Amino acid sequence: MAQLILNGVVTGLIVALPAIALSLTFAILKFPNFAIGAMLTFAAYIAWALNTLAGVPLVAAAALTLVLFPAVTLICDSGVFRPLRNRGPITLMVASMGLSFVLENVCRLVFGNDARNFDIPLSRPLRYAGLRINYEQIVAAGVAVAALILVYLILLRSPLGRAMRAVADNPDLAAARGIDDGRVIKATWILAGVLIAASSVLVGMDRAIDPQMGWNYIIVCFAAAVVGGMGSPAGAVVGALGMGIIGELATLVVDPNYRAGVAFLAIALVLLIRPHGLFGRREIKK
Amino acid sequence: MSVQPVTISNLRAGYGGDDIVNDVSFDVRPGEVFTIIGPNGSGKSTLIKVLAGIVPARKGTISLFDKDVTAMKAAQRIAAGMAYVPQEFNVFRNMTIAENLRLSTEFIGLRGRRGLAERDRVLAMFPDIAGRQSILAGNLSGGQRQMLAFACALISGPEVLLLDEPSAGLSPRLVGEIFQKVRAVNAAGTTVVMVEQNVAQALPISDRVLVLVNGAIRHQSTAEEIRARDDLHELFLGEA
Ligand SMILES: Nc1ncnc2c1ncn2[C@@H]1O[C@H](COP(=O)(O)OP(=O)(O)O)[C@@H](O)[C@H]1O
Ligand SMILES: [Mg+2]
Repeated sequence: MAQLILNGVVTGLIVALPAIALSLTFAILKFPNFAIGAMLTFAAYIAWALNTLAGVPLVAAAALTLVLFPAVTLICDSGVFRPLRNRGPITLMVASMGLSFVLENVCRLVFGNDARNFDIPLSRPLRYAGLRINYEQIVAAGVAVAALILVYLILLRSPLGRAMRAVADNPDLAAARGIDDGRVIKATWILAGVLIAASSVLVGMDRAIDPQMGWNYIIVCFAAAVVGGMGSPAGAVVGALGMGIIGELATLVVDPNYRAGVAFLAIALVLLIRPHGLFGRREIKK
Repeated sequence: MSVQPVTISNLRAGYGGDDIVNDVSFDVRPGEVFTIIGPNGSGKSTLIKVLAGIVPARKGTISLFDKDVTAMKAAQRIAAGMAYVPQEFNVFRNMTIAENLRLSTEFIGLRGRRGLAERDRVLAMFPDIAGRQSILAGNLSGGQRQMLAFACALISGPEVLLLDEPSAGLSPRLVGEIFQKVRAVNAAGTTVVMVEQNVAQALPISDRVLVLVNGAIRHQSTAEEIRARDDLHELFLGEA
């Protein structure tokens, strides 16, 4: 049981990063980015190509991916989302589905359908107080926690964070305060790109990289973000941890293949009790 | 012709396929309170948003003193001497007073000490909110929120202040207080362009008045002249 909770926490931390990315882009741009899964896949392939094709050590490959992948999210924004900015959330959501298809197939075309792995040595799990924990899990947890702290500091303590919160809350008023929403949107995609890239490397350390891997994360990401209250980064973290732990504990009672079903059940229950999610605010409409 | 604080010529603006503001021209004179009235949905808020640079002009020009600001974004218009207080949702409710004030300085180039100095200057005008910096703006009363919104706008030291229904949703006693503030700001040298529904209380502090109906100018005159008329109702309905 404690082992399952530990595993769930680590999984939850890894998923928390793209869940925050999803939540941030939703808060600023007001549409659910269904390409989040394919973006994660794409970032994982960048890291994999650097690591195995170019022979860069994984740590350096990961660092490079953190720098390179935000360029991809920026290109996606200027090529797909920006031209459709004023067309409403449904159009943008459909566009993100199309983008998802394109990104996934670019990966398939360039790298093929085979499952790939990072070039990392297998290591024996550590044991502590009867719990097994892998080296990869420790790294994943450490990196994810560091990323969460960084996001927290950016959002709550920096001018950029204040600008992002302002644009999320009231774009007209933000403009009246001299905030350039175009720059805030760019910064949001960069931050989302960094979070997705970090998560993609952590995911790739734990499982195989293939063109469809992103699909496994779309559902949990949305579950985490929706449960947390769409648009609330703190909620996304709580939601992700909750989903991770529930997903693991569910294996005690149901077949592991039905994990997703349990996650949906959890979403349904939370939304029944709190329609706007745990941390969501009712939209103030003018 | 002397240079006016605000000159608007043949302005057209709207959303989607519709024009909400139709061919509007007027100018605002130095040091006056210029009030725009008109029925609900006539395009008053849209017009003032176009002035503030929030909604783009589709046609026509806007000048601030001798500068053509038509193509400028909101941020540049602040730098050029304009500030805008939106209708109703005019502070960030999920931020504290301190954060709201800070946000009003840091993106217009008033960082560090200069920002603090400007903040202290405006807080001296609004004792109600000065001592309560760590309170969430969402927890303030309507009147205090309005004061905070004024403070945030005045922090840039504007020469022209745009106000969209400053008295909306306030109790009658507070309405008087707000208009006194408007008057004080104006007396200190700021030209005020104000949208109001509360005609009875707005007219006494106004110099000139424009009546906007269906996005077009129905009538324009001094406030006294309007107060002397008994057909304001007809003006609003567009029969005069
Ligand atoms: N963001 C918007 N998008 C589309 N239509 C809008 C928007 N804001 C206002 N309108 C429409 O423009 C018209 C004028 O609204 P507004 O300028 O707010 O009028 P007023 O302030 O005089 O009540 C209304 O019909 C309103 O529905
Ligand atoms: Mg209005």
